[in-house]
Amino acid sequence: MTVRDDGRSASRERTGTEIDETAANSVSGGSVERSGTGAEPTDRVTDDTNRSLPARRTPAVSVTGLSKRFGDGTDAITAVDDVSLEIETGSIVGLLGPNGAGKTTLIKSILGMVFPDEGTVRIQGIDVYDRPREAYAFVDAMLEGARNDYWRLTVRENLRYFTTISGVDPDSVRGRHDRLLSQLELAEKADVPVRDLSRGMKQKVSLATVLAGGAEVIFLDEPTLGLDVESSRTLQRELRRLVEEEGLTVVLSSHDMDVVETVCDRVLIVSNGRIIADDSVDALLRGTDRHRVQISSADLIGPIVSELRNRFDAIDVEEFEIGARIDVTTDSDGLYELLARLRAADVTLERVRTVEPDLEDVFVELTSAEVRERTARRLEEDER
Amino acid sequence: MTARGAEAAETPRKAGYRHLARAVLYREFLLFVRYPANAVGGIVVSLFFFGVLFYGGQMVAGQALTDSIEGIVVGYFLWTLSVGAYSSISNDIGSEVQWGTLERHVMTPFGFAPVALLKGVAKIVRTFLTSTVILVVMIVVTGTTLELNLLTIVAVATLTIVSVLGLGLAAGGITVLYKQIGNWLNLLQFGFIVLISAPAFDLGWMRFLPLAHGSALLQRAMVDGIRLWEFSPIDLGLLVGVAVGYLVLGYVVFQYATRRARRLGVLGDY
Repeated sequence: MTVRDDGRSASRERTGTEIDETAANSVSGGSVERSGTGAEPTDRVTDDTNRSLPARRTPAVSVTGLSKRFGDGTDAITAVDDVSLEIETGSIVGLLGPNGAGKTTLIKSILGMVFPDEGTVRIQGIDVYDRPREAYAFVDAMLEGARNDYWRLTVRENLRYFTTISGVDPDSVRGRHDRLLSQLELAEKADVPVRDLSRGMKQKVSLATVLAGGAEVIFLDEPTLGLDVESSRTLQRELRRLVEEEGLTVVLSSHDMDVVETVCDRVLIVSNGRIIADDSVDALLRGTDRHRVQISSADLIGPIVSELRNRFDAIDVEEFEIGARIDVTTDSDGLYELLARLRAADVTLERVRTVEPDLEDVFVELTSAEVRERTARRLEEDER
Repeated sequence: MTARGAEAAETPRKAGYRHLARAVLYREFLLFVRYPANAVGGIVVSLFFFGVLFYGGQMVAGQALTDSIEGIVVGYFLWTLSVGAYSSISNDIGSEVQWGTLERHVMTPFGFAPVALLKGVAKIVRTFLTSTVILVVMIVVTGTTLELNLLTIVAVATLTIVSVLGLGLAAGGITVLYKQIGNWLNLLQFGFIVLISAPAFDLGWMRFLPLAHGSALLQRAMVDGIRLWEFSPIDLGLLVGVAVGYLVLGYVVFQYATRRARRLGVLGDY
């Protein structure tokens, strides 16, 4: 189990016993049996020092050695490259990566929409490729944003239809549907065809239909794409609340770093088909050697500004009537060098402001380092 | 009781194929009553073509056409049913891909193929309704007298078009794999005219093809008034055999094509 030190999910952590009860929740008499038969033991165990520890729970999602290549020979593209990961129950995991990094192929491979060349995927302990129908009782996905449901049906008709498709009798979960509609502020629109709703509401209907059948693990591909700021925030808030109240496990991919930073407990950064970072948001932010400073001075003129522009890639300059303000993002060595150059040019620092790095800075740092490494490796191979 | 309280008292029950069938039929019904223009448009187009065939044929062939008008009416009725059965699954899959809802039907505990098949069946039920309207109008317009034994007609016509449903399932699978081919496969429906007309000639080995044998039985039922139980066991056995055979064949092709689409990573791509 990944240790999180940000404390965000502490309140959502269910005990091993609770999970055990959930896993064993196979009520007889025609009720839904959603127990992962491949579940590992969840009792408490004792370690060498006789401390009582919760035993390792079955992760909600477990991926081992997943690889997928498209095409043959020199044209072959490795979309997913030997990915292994585990996602614990009750967490929100963000999947970040540049365009073409392999995020969607990874998600589709986990869901069995794409068959990998190698590797296994287990959802709630069930092998997705060997026993897909059993695994699909636990999982649902919003892969197409607002296009994830029938626009010609009403909101409630969509909930009922997709609940059935996900293997649950909709009459048995009416209360759940009412609550979802009310939580997502859709109650008044329950009998309105989806096509007549705004983009933000359509997106919320998509989310509601994904949650309607009571799936325990949900995948959301770009859930806030195309939403205005307000709708995006509402969706993020509701998502967080649902996860906290329901113990859901969510995997979401997004280009929007703010969404990932706000909502996710843990972030996986994908580049070139591989996971290049896997940590909590806070740990990623702390672990970065990126520093962003804003320096204002009347001495920031002509030659020194040009010199800094040439030296630092990540620099913004705002020129004033007298002097300017520079905004530089760099590593520790770069920061020392920046100050040395300013000192050498006799620049009096009038205002210095440090800006905390955000996820975007970390993302840029990690992915560009990965690209540099890859290029260096390729050059080395070419030279041989 | 609050919504939350209500939910606490709820125990989710597993949905069976009965629930699934009800859900897809209900969806079809909702679309039918909410957007009647689509269904009415289909009926008008079918009747227009029949009008061209009937009045144009009278001008060209005169009495010869009038003599065989019962056969033409029954054949045309079966053709509208066949077109509905054949195109239902591939058109449905094409629409689901465009709407972005295909993956949700793949990721179901029921399995993609059974869901696709049930959706096809729901479309057939709808087609039966529209084709019946077309049949009634054709009878009135042509002044034809036909034997309309409901049980026999429904049983023979259903078994006849199940074979085409099998072809449609195969076409649906191929549509998943090669999106653009779906439109070309629709051209096959004109080939059904040959199969439906086959009884007019010597059937021979053609009786093992979809539609042909069923078309012959439907003609005998509707034109000659033969009842279901009056057909020979061989005739009925062949009707069932052809239906099941092509359905199984379509199912296998569908499974193969969707597996290959997953292997190639093109499932749901548009």
